[in-house]
Amino acid sequence: MPMVLLECDKDIPERSKHIYLKVEGEDQRDFLPISNAATIPGTLSERGCAFCGAKLVIGGVLKDTIQMIHGPIGCAYDTWHTKRYPTDNGHFNMKYVWSTDMKESHIVFGGEKRLEKSINEAFDEMPDIKRMFVYTTCPTALIGDDIKAVAKKVMQERPDVDIFCCECPGFAGVSQSKGHHVLNINWINEKVGTVEPEITSEYTMNFIGDFNIQGDTQLLDQYWKRLGIQVVAHFTGNGTYDDLRAMHKAQLNVVNCARSSGYIANELKKQYGIPRLDIDSWGFSYMAEGIRKICSFFGIEERGEKLIAEEYAKWKPQLDWYKERLQGTKMAIWTGGPRLWHWTKSVEDDLGVQVVAMSSKFGHQEDVEKVIARGGAGTYYIDDGNELEFFEIIDLVKPEVIFTGPRVGELVKKLHIPYVNGHGYHNGPYMGFEGFVNLARDMYNAKANPLLKLAATDIRGGNKAALKEAAE
Amino acid sequence: MGCEITTRERAGVINPMYDCQPAGAQYAGIGLKDSIPLVHGGQGCSMFVRLLFAQHFKENFDVASTSLHEDSAVFGGHMRIQEGILTLVRRYPQLRIIPVITTCSTEVIGDDVEGNIKYALDQIAKEFPGREVNVFAVHTPSFKSSQVGGYSECVLSTWKAIAKEKAPATGKLNIFPGWVNPGDVVLLKHYLKEFGVQGDIFMDTEDFDSPMLPDKSIHTHGRTTVEDIKASTGALASLSLARYEAASTVDFLKNTHGVPGHQIAAPYGIANTDAMLQKISEITGKPIPDSLVHERGVAIDALQDLAHMFFANKKVAIFGHPDLVIGLADFCTEVELEPTLLLLGDDNTRYKKDPRLLAMKEKVPYDMEVVCNADLWELEKRVKDGSKKYDLILGHSKGRYVAIDANIPMARVGFPTFDRAGLYRHPTMGYRGAMLLGEQIANAMFTHMEYTRDREWLLNTW
Repeated sequence: MPMVLLECDKDIPERSKHIYLKVEGEDQRDFLPISNAATIPGTLSERGCAFCGAKLVIGGVLKDTIQMIHGPIGCAYDTWHTKRYPTDNGHFNMKYVWSTDMKESHIVFGGEKRLEKSINEAFDEMPDIKRMFVYTTCPTALIGDDIKAVAKKVMQERPDVDIFCCECPGFAGVSQSKGHHVLNINWINEKVGTVEPEITSEYTMNFIGDFNIQGDTQLLDQYWKRLGIQVVAHFTGNGTYDDLRAMHKAQLNVVNCARSSGYIANELKKQYGIPRLDIDSWGFSYMAEGIRKICSFFGIEERGEKLIAEEYAKWKPQLDWYKERLQGTKMAIWTGGPRLWHWTKSVEDDLGVQVVAMSSKFGHQEDVEKVIARGGAGTYYIDDGNELEFFEIIDLVKPEVIFTGPRVGELVKKLHIPYVNGHGYHNGPYMGFEGFVNLARDMYNAKANPLLKLAATDIRGGNKAALKEAAE
Repeated sequence: MGCEITTRERAGVINPMYDCQPAGAQYAGIGLKDSIPLVHGGQGCSMFVRLLFAQHFKENFDVASTSLHEDSAVFGGHMRIQEGILTLVRRYPQLRIIPVITTCSTEVIGDDVEGNIKYALDQIAKEFPGREVNVFAVHTPSFKSSQVGGYSECVLSTWKAIAKEKAPATGKLNIFPGWVNPGDVVLLKHYLKEFGVQGDIFMDTEDFDSPMLPDKSIHTHGRTTVEDIKASTGALASLSLARYEAASTVDFLKNTHGVPGHQIAAPYGIANTDAMLQKISEITGKPIPDSLVHERGVAIDALQDLAHMFFANKKVAIFGHPDLVIGLADFCTEVELEPTLLLLGDDNTRYKKDPRLLAMKEKVPYDMEVVCNADLWELEKRVKDGSKKYDLILGHSKGRYVAIDANIPMARVGFPTFDRAGLYRHPTMGYRGAMLLGEQIANAMFTHMEYTRDREWLLNTW
């Protein structure tokens, strides 16, 4: 089956290069949708910007760091209270956002003085906090403010503080993915190697590409603790600034989200010779496989098997209860990128769920290759899907549950399709064994919701039997 | 004793109260029917604002982006404006309005938005003869004003673009409430109906609270049509209920089309609502209907049970949109709450001269602070360092952690209120709004009494 031109795309036929329907016997060597390309203006794409990829996804997770956004107020306001990444220190990261509140005069005359003042004020107002990320935004990048020079000056005047500068304005790249890249590379080049960690175990690793969504990091940490593995740095779930400066001292880099954070793992390998090991943290089979790979690296296989056995004993019966009820469910996944390939096979293997359509906002070629390799035939693979395409795809494949963001979730609600938050989760964590039971439970509760039947019932026409059935 | 009006002294902001101008413009743009605002800027400028609306209303709204990238930053985003408009027009056959909303980046680059719109319109005329699509620029650089000014700017730009001709007299009232909830729009319509007065609420956002229907049809959009806007030039009069969000368009209708305009205090609280009804009566010559006298009585009756028993002497911090904050301060004084801190969140210099604030300055018998260009740190700092004590916080959800961490009862009001269910459905304006807010405040205080074991037994017999 070649690439698909949807009816709604007849005026933008180039979209057919982004939409693929896999048929039996084909794989990613036959057809590969274009990805990581510029969005067509006016298509109502789901994409965000590079700035948010850096601030909202990665930097803003850190639990001890001021996030100073050098720009007009909106960039700060909009990347605040939109994420669910708690911390073990009272969620400092979710409570605050900082902005230099750029006004027209700063655009005309430059905003460096404004930035310097704002940085000093922020440290003065919160004297316990000594670490800061500074971000450029579209206008401050356009006028060419030298934020690094400002940060350097402040660090000279305040020797107890450390500041990292992230220069990725919203217009950089084609999606939030560019921001992940810039932050990864700048961090390793400027900050890794500037702090020496305290090593407390003979087995050490960095856990990369997990942002503690609803406590993912904290759940997985229990496993690493039981295995006797020290996590030197979490990039960046529940993480601290200084832990991330010590990433060079781990023996292994374990990568979950390869899209947002694969870059830093590659660089740690290149610059420090630390091997990279990719795992999937969602799903029973995948999680077990990941633990086995990690334990095999350290030569602690028995510990790994013991952990897996304990977790299976505890959680597998619950998973199976849901599997029995979810078997054959048609699911769609419309998220960022990697969760498509993390989830498509794990929900199939562990829950018997069939993924019928997937759309990635910012996946690159390697993500698309992975998802087509892992995903089934009869499934649509969409790059940078837009609203009209979603409507059409829904008509074609009729998903019973959609894992996507809250806004699209509200849209598909009107079509009587329940959504589960594929970004921030409904009631997570979703990683690990316990987490995948949570995912299964949320999917089951979404599908079993009696309101859906009631919504579909037309009370006009006096069909009492149908009404009674709907109410039951 | 007295009221002091100051301005934030810090350069930077910690926890902003308002979003930027383009966000406000997008809110106005979605209030129009058959409209998809096109934001000329980076993709985040529309994506996060759409998310914000979804958080508040639990609904999806369509806003498009020109998806500005590096090449446009260097060479200009001309083609992306044209392509964006044409793509929308081609793929959405019902589309009749496209406000093209600029952002900080495209204003710095200096794209000729009007020129590119003209090119696109020429192309539309060729491709779709006879089809009327209203495409116009809304200049909202993020480094000026805030969501408050952005809302105002988009409404004004819409009227300038569409309300060009003087329409025949309609005998109707134009009511511009500013940035309010669907619950407020429904309340205002109800008042007009009780009066027997024909009128339009601009923007008509009633359907921002939309149903799940058996036929799966989607009705989540503004109801203000091109025809409504054109007809507004023939109205009997215009009422602006929000000095900072609506007045400019009322002035435009007055100066360009001779529609008499009236600026009145936002109808929050009993007396402000009285004034609005009296004004409507005065303009239309119709008496205030008995039904509204009845509603007024029900509200006062309900608030009477709360005021001197529970509300008196309680100190309140209020933040949010300027017309709302000032209106809520009036409401508070009516029910014996003491608004001791008002936060207005942008650098509009007119706040300091607002007649309502100056009047308050004259009369408050306790210490009161008004901080202009404020952020939420102004509130948190006062709470944390113990220099000020507040018994109640009135504001939107972005300030929730101040209340949570300091254990202060908070009633959510304004925009956004994403951490409470269904608030957008209820009015804050009018008698009913005052009553509901008073009861929401009381219930927040009662729950707080129970959780802190602070004379919770008082409620045994209330």
